[in-house]
Amino acid sequence: MSTVSETTPRGRTARRVRIDGWRWGGRAFLVFMLLYTALPMIWMLLTSIKSGFAAMQFPPQWWPDQPTLDSYQKLLDPQNSVGQDFLRFFWNSLIVSTATTILSVIVAVPAAYAFSRFTFPGRNFLFFAVLLRNMFPAVIFLVPLFILMRAIGLVNTHGSLVLTYLTFGLPLAIWLLKGFYDNIPVQLEQAARIDGATRFQAFVLIVMPLSAPGIIATAIYSFIGAWNEYIYAYTFLSKNEQLTLPVGIQRFFSENTTDFPGLMAASFMMSVPVVVLFLLLQRYFVRALTEGAVKH
Amino acid sequence: MTIVSGKVEARRTLQSARSDVLRKMWEHRADYAYVLPAIAVMLIVIAYPIYYTIELSFFNTPPGLQLRDKIFVGFNNYTAILTSGVFWQVTFNTLIWTVASTFFSFVLGFAAALALHRDFIGRGVLRAILIIPWVISAVAASYIWKWIYHSDFGIIGAVLVELGWASRPPNFIDSVSTVLPSLIVVNIWREFPFAMIMMTAGLQTVPEQLLRAAKVDGANAWQRFWHVTFPHLRNVSTVTILLLAVANFNSFIIPWIMTGGGPSNASHIWITHIYELAFGRQRWGVASAYSVLLFIILMTLGYFYVRALSGNERKDGSA
Repeated sequence: MSTVSETTPRGRTARRVRIDGWRWGGRAFLVFMLLYTALPMIWMLLTSIKSGFAAMQFPPQWWPDQPTLDSYQKLLDPQNSVGQDFLRFFWNSLIVSTATTILSVIVAVPAAYAFSRFTFPGRNFLFFAVLLRNMFPAVIFLVPLFILMRAIGLVNTHGSLVLTYLTFGLPLAIWLLKGFYDNIPVQLEQAARIDGATRFQAFVLIVMPLSAPGIIATAIYSFIGAWNEYIYAYTFLSKNEQLTLPVGIQRFFSENTTDFPGLMAASFMMSVPVVVLFLLLQRYFVRALTEGAVKH
Repeated sequence: MTIVSGKVEARRTLQSARSDVLRKMWEHRADYAYVLPAIAVMLIVIAYPIYYTIELSFFNTPPGLQLRDKIFVGFNNYTAILTSGVFWQVTFNTLIWTVASTFFSFVLGFAAALALHRDFIGRGVLRAILIIPWVISAVAASYIWKWIYHSDFGIIGAVLVELGWASRPPNFIDSVSTVLPSLIVVNIWREFPFAMIMMTAGLQTVPEQLLRAAKVDGANAWQRFWHVTFPHLRNVSTVTILLLAVANFNSFIIPWIMTGGGPSNASHIWITHIYELAFGRQRWGVASAYSVLLFIILMTLGYFYVRALSGNERKDGSA
């Protein structure tokens, strides 16, 4: 009798302690990950509001003594030569990324739909061929693409970038969208067909609106990919006025190696559009990315 | 007699199978219109370059890439690679880089997904913050960390000195022994959110009832994870690890911007090395031969990738 009354509470406390251990371990781990993730970004922001002199001190000013927005003003001032360059790079990145995004949605939507719905011969082979593109690094394609672009006269144009970005964005776009189409009940289209719609009408009028979240996600993904791309832009473009942001910033700061506040401010502003875009639409983005790998 | 008729039979079925495929392709001709734009773009920008890379790898092409003056050299470019000491150093670096980056990104991302699985106030915000490094440009990330690692004014060095753990700030990325681990830390910073996203989605597919049943049966937290959660996540884990491995194997920007492969090749990995051979030293033949070798390695990885993915599909079909 006494043994029973003793063991039960002890067993219960033991279990409670163990579960708490896991939970506290998890919390401690999350704090660690938060610091690991956020501290570099915070340090970037703190550096960007220091003067060049204040940034180059040892020991460093943990918090800037005299916060200043000089670096940002310089980068955004169209009268200043630095600002002129930066704004032009920004504009170039915007044009290239937008064009890439629009084109990849136009090309990926029908392809993903076909891979999801139709059972034509070679479907699996073509699908995996498309996916395999993601396996290969840009460097493999650089030399031949450079020759190709030179042959068709696209070197030093934004067209060369849009065409290449299109292909490395496509496999993932198709994969993401296929996941979405797989989850849209085929009965909806069958009902539309019975009501007299053609296959194409059923696709445009029924499936397209339902897959809007997937299309949004695909568009964000293409945009971010194009915005951040570096190697092709670095290789295909040589004229200063055509550079996109990553290459432009790199070229600028290989000449001004000590302007760390300016570099941090530029890095911050380069990140703002994609981070804002991502935070606004992250629901779609994360869902789409996982839809392909995980079926519900 | 029987053998002959068997052969004839086989030929007949083969023929009918072939015409079957053609007939099916003809019946589905409208379907191809949907995938045609995608395939056409892929062919121009993928098939053609692959063919070209293979061709160039058997030639010596002059520095300005004047294709008319290229000279056939057979397998010389390949033997030159395999007998050079740099090749083995770079391969070793690539192995460490890929394995360490993939392992830690996956483990940290998976653990973060698990820790964020239980709902609490601020979970959404925390998750969003953890994903940001993956969204920002690798060029920006490289510069941020280059500044953090700076040998005179870097914050990590300063913290170490303040704490009295070092007498002067260490040279993280200017020293042969620490450069690779330092860069791997940056790479993990950028890659673990991807694993976190994938595993978060995977966790949502683990049936609650099974976990509850296991709890009723007296399984502790670890047993529930190991015997219920983890087996459910095997497919997602495989796909995630493969995608991470491929992405890490193919990384370029972080080592290129932060160190350019130095000091003395200590942070050169395959891709940066190929880039330098091609566009730095203009040794197009050797660079192309490297690319072909890389291609073969990646095709092998790709085989497993496709198998993991089609494993998913098959499961789906039966479910």
